This record gives sequence, C-alpha cells and structure tokens, in this order.
Amino acid sequence: MRATSPERPGGESPRRSTAAEARAAFAHWVNEVPEGLPFGQIVVRALPGNGGYELRHVADVGIPDGDLVAHNEPRAAREIAKLTEEGEYRPLKSSPNLKRGWVLRVKDDRALYVAMNYLYPSGVAHWHLYRNGELEITNYRENAARQSGIYKRVQRLSDEGVQNTAKACCEDAVCLKKTLWDVDENTPLAADRGEGEIPCPEPCSIFVSLARRVRLFERENKRDLDAIGLSPSEKEDLSALVEAAATGSVKFAREAEFEEPLNERRMRYRKLTLVPKLRPVEDTAPEEG
Amino acid sequence: MKALIIVGHGSHLNEDSSLPVYEHAALVRDRYAGEFDEVVECFWKEEPSMRHVLDMVEAEEVCVVPAFISEGYFTQQVIPRELGLDGPVTHRDGRTIRYAGPLGTFEGMPDVILERVDDLLKGKEMRPGRTALVLLGHGTDLNKNSGGVVYLNAERIRERGVYDLVEVGFLDQDPPIAEVVEGVEAENVVLIPVFIAEGWHTRETIPEDLRLTGEVTERADKTIFYGAPVGTHPSVADLIISRARETKEREAQLARDVS
Ligand code: SF4
Repeated sequence: MRATSPERPGGESPRRSTAAEARAAFAHWVNEVPEGLPFGQIVVRALPGNGGYELRHVADVGIPDGDLVAHNEPRAAREIAKLTEEGEYRPLKSSPNLKRGWVLRVKDDRALYVAMNYLYPSGVAHWHLYRNGELEITNYRENAARQSGIYKRVQRLSDEGVQNTAKACCEDAVCLKKTLWDVDENTPLAADRGEGEIPCPEPCSIFVSLARRVRLFERENKRDLDAIGLSPSEKEDLSALVEAAATGSVKFAREAEFEEPLNERRMRYRKLTLVPKLRPVEDTAPEEG
Repeated sequence: MKALIIVGHGSHLNEDSSLPVYEHAALVRDRYAGEFDEVVECFWKEEPSMRHVLDMVEAEEVCVVPAFISEGYFTQQVIPRELGLDGPVTHRDGRTIRYAGPLGTFEGMPDVILERVDDLLKGKEMRPGRTALVLLGHGTDLNKNSGGVVYLNAERIRERGVYDLVEVGFLDQDPPIAEVVEGVEAENVVLIPVFIAEGWHTRETIPEDLRLTGEVTERADKTIFYGAPVGTHPSVADLIISRARETKEREAQLARDVS
C-alpha cells in the first residue's frame, strides 16, 4: 500500500522520505503561482518575501482580512476543519462542507504541511505520490477482504452494490477526492471519479460503513418485498421522509449516520435504487411540445 | 528523525473519541519537545487513517502507541493489520516501527486513576466512614481482556492500601455496575470509568442507570462521586511517552532473547 523505496543492500545510503519530498514539492508547487492554488476547498498562496504561506477558503478569496478570523498557528487548522458552518461534526475532511470566514498564515513549508494535514489528512502526501505515479491503489475487494468484526459482511456486497455505494458516497457532490480505486482489477468503478486535486487510493472508513449498510439492504431478500416490490427499509425511509417533509423542514441525519433514514448518502443510494422502482423509465420521458 | 504516532479509535459522529488523542498529542509536543520530531494522530474511524498515516510521516524511526485501554481486538488485530506491523518491531522501507502496548496494562496506569480520583474529590465533602473506589469497565465478548485490565488495576490499587475497598463493575459483563455501586458497603463511593474517552455511556447510560445527578449524588446511605474517564486525564500524555520509551527497551530485550 505504501510507496516503497528501492532496497538498499548494506543500508549505507539515507532512506528516501516520500513525505519530506511531498512537503517540499507542495511548497514548490505553491511558490510557482503567485495568485495561489486551489486544493480541495482551500486556496494556498505563498506570501511574498518572507517564506510564509496563507490558506483560506476558496470562496473567501478577495475578502478583506478584517472580515475574516485570522490564525497563525498551523494546528489551528484542526479546529477550522472540525465543524461545518452549521456546527455539525465533519468525519470526512474531503466533504465539500469546510466552513468559511477564516484565514491561516503559517511561517514555512513545515508549518504548511502540518496545517494541510489537518485540513486534508495525508492529502499532500497522496497528491505527491500520485503525481509521481507512485501512489498504490487498493481496490474495493482487497479492502473488503481485510475487514473483520462488524464490517466483515461488506465482503458479500454485490458488485452492483459497490457501484451504487460509490455513486452515493464518493462523487464530488459529497466528497471532493478523486476516486482512483475500482471494484476489483477487472471491474472499473462506474461512479464519476471527480475532478479534485486530492486522490483517494482506497475506500475510506465512511465508505466501508455505508457499504455495510447497503449490504444489509441487499439482505432484505425477495421474501421481504411487498406486492409492489418495496423492501421494509425502503418503506421505512419513505415514511420518515414524508413525515419530516410534512413538518415543513427536513432535518437531515448526521453525515455518517447511515442507520438513520434521512441521511444524505443513504438518500443518494435510494435515489439510485428506489426511485427507478417508484417511477419506471417510461414515466420520466420528457413531455413533448 | 523520530516520530510518535498516537492511534485512537475515532468516531464518525462526534469528537468525543478523537479529542483526548489530540489533547495528549499537544501535551506531548509541549512537555517532551525535542524527544520526537513529529507527533502525529491517527484513527480507525477518522482521518488520517492508520492505513495512510505512515505516508505522511517523514521520520525513519517511528513509535506507535495505541490510545486504548486493553489488549484485545484493536491492539492485536486491527492496528497491526492497518499499519502493516509484523510485531513489536517492524523494519520496512528503511524504517523502524516500534509498536507499544496499550495504556491500561501499563504499571503507571494506577497513578493516573488515583490522580483522577484526587481531581474529582478536590474541595468536596466526604461522609465520615469508609470510602470505596469502584472501577468501571466496559467488558465485551469481542475483547476478552477488557475486563482483565480493570481487575488488574483494581488489584494494583488495592495493594497500595489507600481505600477501604476497591471494587470493579461492568456495563456488559458481570458484575453489573449498578449492583456493585448499590451493594458496596461504604459511605463514600468513588466511581471512575476506566475508559479512554467520554461518550454515550459515560454521559448518558451510566448516569441514567445509576441515577446519578452529576459529579456528586447523595443517597440516604452513601455519597457517590462520579469521575471523568481516566483516558482523558492530562497525565495520560506522560503514560504515552513512558510506553513509547519502553518500546526501545522491549526491542533490546527481544534482541537479547534472540542471541
Ligand atoms: S472512499 Fe469515497 S468518500 Fe471515502 S474518501 Fe474516497 S472518494 Fe471520498
């Protein structure tokens, strides 16, 4: 899984640190472009003259400093990345819900690397390895084979289930990483892999958790379906949605709360698998005239 | 260069689980500045994942300390598998990775528990009579050692003779904590969860099951003092460092055993 450096018999020459290379390469990349470079939802810019760097939300470019909360400790990035604008916990840092309203200035490339690793954990290292063609990819089946305990059941998720989980979990609307892994070596991922700078080399723990949920949906076997082909959990989700909408405001479950009906990724999965049952293709043809 | 990696469980839902890991890492950077060039956090359910943390660490000498209480499923299966460890010492890609034992079995743990008790009782009034310390463990089927580590710490504290009684109780195994707390024959009962972090149990199920009203609960026959989990105590940072230092000794021991 990790980038390996060539074996060195005798071990005289110093070890190659791909992380140190990544830190330097990232700083160099940023230094080359005075107006700054986007990475995920932030823009990183070299500060003229002093070797420092500035980070801010991409939507806050051009906003006067006085209107932003200024930080200069690289570890402040952890607090910045912790909660959404609405105060929800962010278990997946590549989710497109980074809050705005801050600016972080750090003194050098080391501090930049620390800050980046709180905003996009291991993002710079993977960006660098990917650019060099050295990022090792772990496909879904290899990842699933490693799972144990309550996650062992994801090994039995069907290929179609993996594909739909990826569409529900990984596309740019919900995760800004570029999805590089496949179902297995012969089955490429069907989801839109995304345009982001940050590569995703392996299903993450949020994905595995949703995959487990989807596997439980798959297990609602034919016997459990009603006359029009709906499963118990599909009916539960529809009821929850109707009840919530009837109050005038739908309160969504937390980002990774996949056991709750009104979870965005769970709903994205339902859109792929339930909506076609409810609204067969012929009904959706655009009206003429 | 040297790196310390602190491994936490993490959570998809809130920061309860990762917060102590970040806090201990910050204390280590502060108190032991210079001992490690990098102090990095990683998690099972959060980012950076154990799977990828080594990609972002620069050092060639790495020490991994699990912020877990007991030896078991996580420390023996999940962490070694995810980090690609071969055992107490792994040599890979020109790197030496030393893997420390969990915190709960460490001989320094009773001291942290007693510090936690001192913090809890500071400025509070005790009833005349006996004082019992009750250690609360999770206890699960998945992890047979999780009960053992609580008994181990109870025994070590008992040996010091500072409390009239030292008892243990569990959430998911016998003896149930509610029975222990009700039945213990002492006027003061000090209840300390031997958990690594705050969470649903420490905040909700335990106070509810034991009908606690906060840090101090007055009953007709006793006063119950309810402490925060040991794992969040600032002294755990020192425990982590001791564990990290010990891995070097362990390696030397292993080398001696082989030769
Ligand atoms: S597995 Fe999917 S959701 Fe997780 S980080 Fe990769 S692209 Fe994002």
